[in-house]
Amino acid sequence: MKLSEFIRPASLAEARKALRALGPKGMPLAGGTALHFLTGKTPVTAVDITRLGLSYIKQKGDYFVIGAATPLADIQRYRGARWAMHEICRRISTHQIRNVSTIGGNIARVFPWADLPVVLLAMDARLVIYSGKEKEMTADEYFSSQPARLFKGGDLLTAVKIPVLKAHHGFGSVKASRNATAFSLVTIAALLELKGGLIKSARVAAGSGIPFPQRLKQVEAALVGKEANTETFRAAAAAGGAAARWVGGEGMSADYIRELAEVSILDALERAAEFARGRAA
Amino acid sequence: MTKTTHTVNFTLNGEKKSFATRPDEKLLTLLRREGYRGTKYGCGQGTCGACTVLLDGRATYACLFYAMQAEGREVRTIESAGTFDNPSEFQKQLVAAGAVQCGYCIPGMVMSATALMETEAVLEDEIVKEYMDGNLCRCTGYEKIWVALRKTLDKQAEGGKKPAKKTSKGAKK
Repeated sequence: MKLSEFIRPASLAEARKALRALGPKGMPLAGGTALHFLTGKTPVTAVDITRLGLSYIKQKGDYFVIGAATPLADIQRYRGARWAMHEICRRISTHQIRNVSTIGGNIARVFPWADLPVVLLAMDARLVIYSGKEKEMTADEYFSSQPARLFKGGDLLTAVKIPVLKAHHGFGSVKASRNATAFSLVTIAALLELKGGLIKSARVAAGSGIPFPQRLKQVEAALVGKEANTETFRAAAAAGGAAARWVGGEGMSADYIRELAEVSILDALERAAEFARGRAA
Repeated sequence: MTKTTHTVNFTLNGEKKSFATRPDEKLLTLLRREGYRGTKYGCGQGTCGACTVLLDGRATYACLFYAMQAEGREVRTIESAGTFDNPSEFQKQLVAAGAVQCGYCIPGMVMSATALMETEAVLEDEIVKEYMDGNLCRCTGYEKIWVALRKTLDKQAEGGKKPAKKTSKGAKK
């Protein structure tokens, strides 16, 4: 993407005002790594949002609040009570990219291979958007389609809120890729709530290998009320093939990706159950 | 390419500098234009690591970073790591291990290793690999680079040299 101007607004309100005035000729910039790969022919003005206090992680009540301009490396290195976000962040791209790319950049425009939307859907995260004042929405609503629709008029993603997992909650994520730093072929994330050996509730999401990240409702339905054991997880994973439209890519057939997804679902569920039963974070 | 001229100010290898640039000029292009040619242009798309510099102590791809983003920050290039006559310990070990074949990846390797040594206190293999996972070498198969790095780290540990900063584990920003 060509940049014709580069501005550094002093406040969130100024940034929104600038982006509002620029319309399609403006582009918020935090880490900026994605901008190098956007092919738009029209030059845009980069609006630097890295100096607005949007890089932080703090626990506030029942949520961890992560500023939208927080680099992935900071999320990877953070440790909080029953914190589960570091595993997936470690698996994203390379050390140098994780130092610069931000959580907001990873989810403000959803690339098909993005891992964080999958994790945030499973985690039942909340997204904070600034439109003069801050408003919140669920991950389900935010990721119902490409989030660009939410940023018209200069509105900005400012924070991501991750629920603090309770003692009987478990989270697991799996990213299947050809090598350590390659884009994902399939990413699966699962959040299980256990009660007396039974699965009280479940949120399972997938990304890559499908056109857009989504919850796997059939997999979730196959879990709720059942015993949290391998037999249940196998049956639920087998429902994963029909739960989404798996597509091939990077030389892999759709059938291969579907099978990879089913295996990954099983692994994610086992990890989530292990976490819920008291795995060290 | 736009002709709009801007100025960017940042600390480069310990010296405060001011450069004329354009909004879409990459930090890598600026550095090489200004004579800091130890920082290499490899893939130009954030994969190979030949252009790695330190930005406020963190390894960063200069090819995926606009020069304007460096405003007010601290940039360090391979020129700060050692010279031909006075190489750093890792540079010495790389030569001793025969790890420098074509040599193109080495400046980036040295910068990533510098970030590692200055940031982390516990240098287990897993954390070392994490810091080095963004640097590719197409000659050596990595073994000799790994041997040189492990020797450097072990020597540092024996000498009881503490990293400048505390381990990043649990660090919050």
